[in-house]
Amino acid sequence: MYELTGVGKTYATGSQRVLAVSGVDLSVGDGEWLAIRGRTGHGKSTLLNLLGALDRPTTGQLLLDGRDLGRMRDAELTRLRATTIGFVFQTFNLVPTLSAAENVEAALIPLRLGLAARRRKVAAALDSVGLTDRSRHLPSELSGGQQQRVAIARALVKEPKVLLADEPTGNLDEETRDEIIGLMEKLWREYQLTLVLVSHDGAVVRRAQRVGVMSRGSISFET
Amino acid sequence: MFFFTYLARELRRRQRQAVFIALGLAVGVGLVITVTAASAGVKNAQSGVLKGLYGVGTDVTVTGAAPSNSQVKPGSPSALGSGNRVSIMMGPNGAQMCVNGKCRSLKDGYTIDTLASSSYAPMNEKAASEIAALHGVASAAGGLLLTDNKTTISQNPSPPTSFSVDGTDIGKPRLGPLSDAVTKTGRTFTSADATRNVAVVDANYATSNGLKTGGTITIGGTKFTIIGTVAQPEGSNPPNVYIPLARAQSLAEQGPAGGSLKNDVNTVYVTAASAADIPAVQNEIAKLLPTATITTPSSLASEVTGSVSSAAKLADDLGKWLSILVLIAAFAVAVLLTMLAVSRRVREFGTLKALGWRGRRIIAQVMGESFVLGLLGAAIGVGLGFAGAAVINAIAPNLSATLTQSTGEHIMTPNGPLSPTSSHTVSVPLVASVSGAAILAAVVLAVAGGLLAGVFGSWRIGRLRPADALSKVG
Repeated sequence: MYELTGVGKTYATGSQRVLAVSGVDLSVGDGEWLAIRGRTGHGKSTLLNLLGALDRPTTGQLLLDGRDLGRMRDAELTRLRATTIGFVFQTFNLVPTLSAAENVEAALIPLRLGLAARRRKVAAALDSVGLTDRSRHLPSELSGGQQQRVAIARALVKEPKVLLADEPTGNLDEETRDEIIGLMEKLWREYQLTLVLVSHDGAVVRRAQRVGVMSRGSISFET
Repeated sequence: MFFFTYLARELRRRQRQAVFIALGLAVGVGLVITVTAASAGVKNAQSGVLKGLYGVGTDVTVTGAAPSNSQVKPGSPSALGSGNRVSIMMGPNGAQMCVNGKCRSLKDGYTIDTLASSSYAPMNEKAASEIAALHGVASAAGGLLLTDNKTTISQNPSPPTSFSVDGTDIGKPRLGPLSDAVTKTGRTFTSADATRNVAVVDANYATSNGLKTGGTITIGGTKFTIIGTVAQPEGSNPPNVYIPLARAQSLAEQGPAGGSLKNDVNTVYVTAASAADIPAVQNEIAKLLPTATITTPSSLASEVTGSVSSAAKLADDLGKWLSILVLIAAFAVAVLLTMLAVSRRVREFGTLKALGWRGRRIIAQVMGESFVLGLLGAAIGVGLGFAGAAVINAIAPNLSATLTQSTGEHIMTPNGPLSPTSSHTVSVPLVASVSGAAILAAVVLAVAGGLLAGVFGSWRIGRLRPADALSKVG
């Protein structure tokens, strides 16, 4: 699925240059669950942004299914995100004015599906996360766990190949965390997803097939 | 569908801010409409005053240059005769009238009645047909604006009396002062009246002088039968009496010079083919009649003084700039608030980009919201504009318009000749009216303001990289 060779990312903040990711070599296979842990500010989220085509590497090569993300045009990256990659964020990032169903539907807008097809997929996605009865609720009317379920439904409604999760349980209590990770594991198996999950929580990371550790922008793997 | 749902929800979420932006635009738009309505009202008041002078259908008025008084030397007899060379000598032994050099004493009570063109120099009546043939001219009619002066010789002298007389081309009823008149009693002229001694009298003048349809009035020493009375628009300054042009030409003479006005006119009323043709027509006439005075409604308006003139200036200057300033302020507020609102939603837009939304789609969403706010501002603004116009109509005092015109009299004094003028002040109601064009312009302005705010607000979002947008806290 992913082939990273010498991938680096440098940010310019004023006159300073910050090396967020440095010389990362990484392969992620189809259907693999890779967890990445590490301390805050060591490049976990930056690497996830690169994998999600939200940002471009400044050095190296990043291939997704053989396509070099660093060389693709913005419109192609946008299309890739719309069809192939699903995101789950720590803070859920739901649109506060839209209901649960509408938030999930938002992920289908770039695909230009008809209204009926959209509604059908949204209902199925909400059903898969157990929120059918909350479809008309606004995010503010849902608990943190429910909001993250909506975010997971939004990520999966377009049936992506890749699910990228950035601290998906960071804002949840332990019980809800286990519930959400359980759900993600179930869906990972069900949808045969390639899952890359960033977390600093050992309990979450342990459930992955492979664990990478980010330190000062470089990645190493636990054996 | 999703577009509108998202749009409506966002506006509802930011209800207070949305209302504030819409109200800001509305105040600007409302002020523009109110000022435009007031300005239109002032212009209507002005044109009401002007219509009565030259008639509703007249675009350009051509008059002969005013005769010079330098021809009459101080201490010399005044020329008040009719037809012949007549002069009146006021001496220590009483009044003497000299006709073609032969003088005799005048008896007490003798009345001299003359009809003269003292205000304007005459032009040959062919000028009207020559003007009518010019490019851009729809029609032209000649007229004689005259003054009837009555002087009674008496041991106890009383001031001379006068009234204005319009020699009307009755073959062209749509041009000239009579064109805008409404018949109150009797009738107006027909083609059969061309050579008859018949007169139509202004209703106000008739009332104040006890004149009635069927009665008579003496003009230039000749009795005319009054066939009707007419009323002119409020605020106008119409002639007192109208008679057929041919009769006016045969009775009148040219003021101090005393020449005959047969086959002459002193005014030509011109209708242009279109309003856009007026300047070209004005130029063409100037070439044809270099010494004539050419008056258009706009140039005539500058001669009207009084509060109507001040109001017109106020509406044009202060009103216009106030509207522009308020509009700019409203636009600035809308832009700043939209930018603020968008900056609070950067993370939301970053999420949408992560979901695969194109920058264009996000910009369209923001622009859609701004467009709706613009429409809302326009709707409220139109309402405010109507309310503003209603307030003006309710509280605005009547405007006064003062027209200063020559009386047509020439009086000799020991210090030299005098050509008195009369100031005619009329009270004109200010009726602020909201036009469809003003509403359309206001709607366009408000929507443009909204879209401008949207452009400024969304421009940065469209260019923001998704990773940067997602990293924003908010």
